[in-house]
Amino acid sequence: MLNVTGLTAQIGKIPVLRGVDLTVNGGDTVALLGRNGVGKTSTLRAILGLLRRTGGSVVYDGRPLNDVAPHKLASMGIGYVPQGRGIFPLLTVEENLLLTVKGAPNRNMLEEMFVRFPRIQERLRQPAGTPSGGEQQMLAIARCLMLEPKLIILDEPTEGIMPKLVSQIRHEIANIAKRGISVLLVEQNLRTAMRLASRVYLMERGRIVHEGTSAGLQTNPEIVHRYLGVSLKNVKGVIQ
Amino acid sequence: MNELVLALAVNGLVWGLIVALIALGLSIIFGLLDVINVAHGDFFMLGTVGGLVVATSTGSFWIALAIVPLIGLILGAVIERLVIRPTLRQASLTIVTTFGLSMIIQEVVRATYGAQPRRMAAPIDGTIPLFGINYEIYRIAAAAFAALFLIAFFLFLNRTKLGTWIRAVRHDPETATSLGIPVTLVTAFTFALGTAMALLGGVIAAPITTVDFRSGVDILPVCFMAVIIGGLGNLQGTVAAAIMLAVLEGVVTSFVDPTTARIASLVIMSVALLVRPHGLFAGATR
Repeated sequence: MLNVTGLTAQIGKIPVLRGVDLTVNGGDTVALLGRNGVGKTSTLRAILGLLRRTGGSVVYDGRPLNDVAPHKLASMGIGYVPQGRGIFPLLTVEENLLLTVKGAPNRNMLEEMFVRFPRIQERLRQPAGTPSGGEQQMLAIARCLMLEPKLIILDEPTEGIMPKLVSQIRHEIANIAKRGISVLLVEQNLRTAMRLASRVYLMERGRIVHEGTSAGLQTNPEIVHRYLGVSLKNVKGVIQ
Repeated sequence: MNELVLALAVNGLVWGLIVALIALGLSIIFGLLDVINVAHGDFFMLGTVGGLVVATSTGSFWIALAIVPLIGLILGAVIERLVIRPTLRQASLTIVTTFGLSMIIQEVVRATYGAQPRRMAAPIDGTIPLFGINYEIYRIAAAAFAALFLIAFFLFLNRTKLGTWIRAVRHDPETATSLGIPVTLVTAFTFALGTAMALLGGVIAAPITTVDFRSGVDILPVCFMAVIIGGLGNLQGTVAAAIMLAVLEGVVTSFVDPTTARIASLVIMSVALLVRPHGLFAGATR
């Protein structure tokens, strides 16, 4: 579904990606992990064309994205939930939800959203900046789903969210995967990443330094410690 | 004396509504594109000149009112592509480029239309008694047009998909792009819309002001004052500030000469910004 090969990018004159290779297969949930500043968000932004690519290739559904305008990716089936949620706080919840839905919204889809995210329906007319961080994250995910994507790219979906809502967001991401939508997930919360993803990539200084299954990573504390700086023993709920 | 003050206040309100329309164009351009458009006053001037030329050649002010803003929309799109886009997101550089644009517009108008200031006949004749003076009916009509277009603008911004996209792009162009909004097109349209609003203000104002290639130089500071006092990028604040400033200047003019009244406006702006550096209406809904 998504093949990234030798992806390079720079911010100003500083290289931030030095040849990233990763693959997301159809229906797969893949996590991209690494310490702060290693290039995870830059990788996502470069895939989406929001950060100018200087080399390499991004192929989605067999089509190279090199010459595709970034705003066309949503209609090709690539959804994006950015870091910090990307909610437009002065637009209403409803305006956010239906921002780029073409024509009349799919009623069934809308009903389903309201069932899954009841708080969104309650707050439709409110400015989207007023709900809590967790509710805003739900809105960002629902807004992305309204565009009926085939691949969803999520950047730190549990960042800054109250612990009691993290499990709900994790549950929603698992539901997305169950619908057959592929997921590329950047996540600082190792427990969340390992629970959701079947495969993981670890990044270090703009490169992929480890690729493997989530289960495999759980038995490799040395790699986890070297590239993520944490001990698996401290990640509650990871080791089954 | 009291009646004169009231009449001048009404005059200020009329002018304030027109200035609000023009300043709103400046404000959306600044809010969305970070462009400090020094040529915005000259767009207003083009509206007055275009209004006079079209009204004279067609014999109808109303045709000018319909056509000139459309010309502004096209002109704005062309200028956005050739002048604004190459310097986008470099606010300080846009001052230089739009200053150059301002000079070009003024010189082109002087070379073609001429340097002689002219007056345009009001499309609606007659006066009505207002606070003891005979007040031109067209001035009331001009205020009504300006108010109508202001309402139409806010309806467009808040009730249409394109208006919602403009508000979204103002806040976060990158997320807007990732959701499928063609940000480059929305940006170009917004600049064109801001330009068209200045030309529209110019056509409405043409019968009540002097049509002169330098008239943009006079109105630009007033528009900037409205935008700054209204709270940079705050559209409702810009409208409120434009009306407030013009009414205030109108009232002060009944006691002192117009130059002193302008000085009073500048003093008020300075004091307002000292007390509230982000504008009187900062923090209100943008």
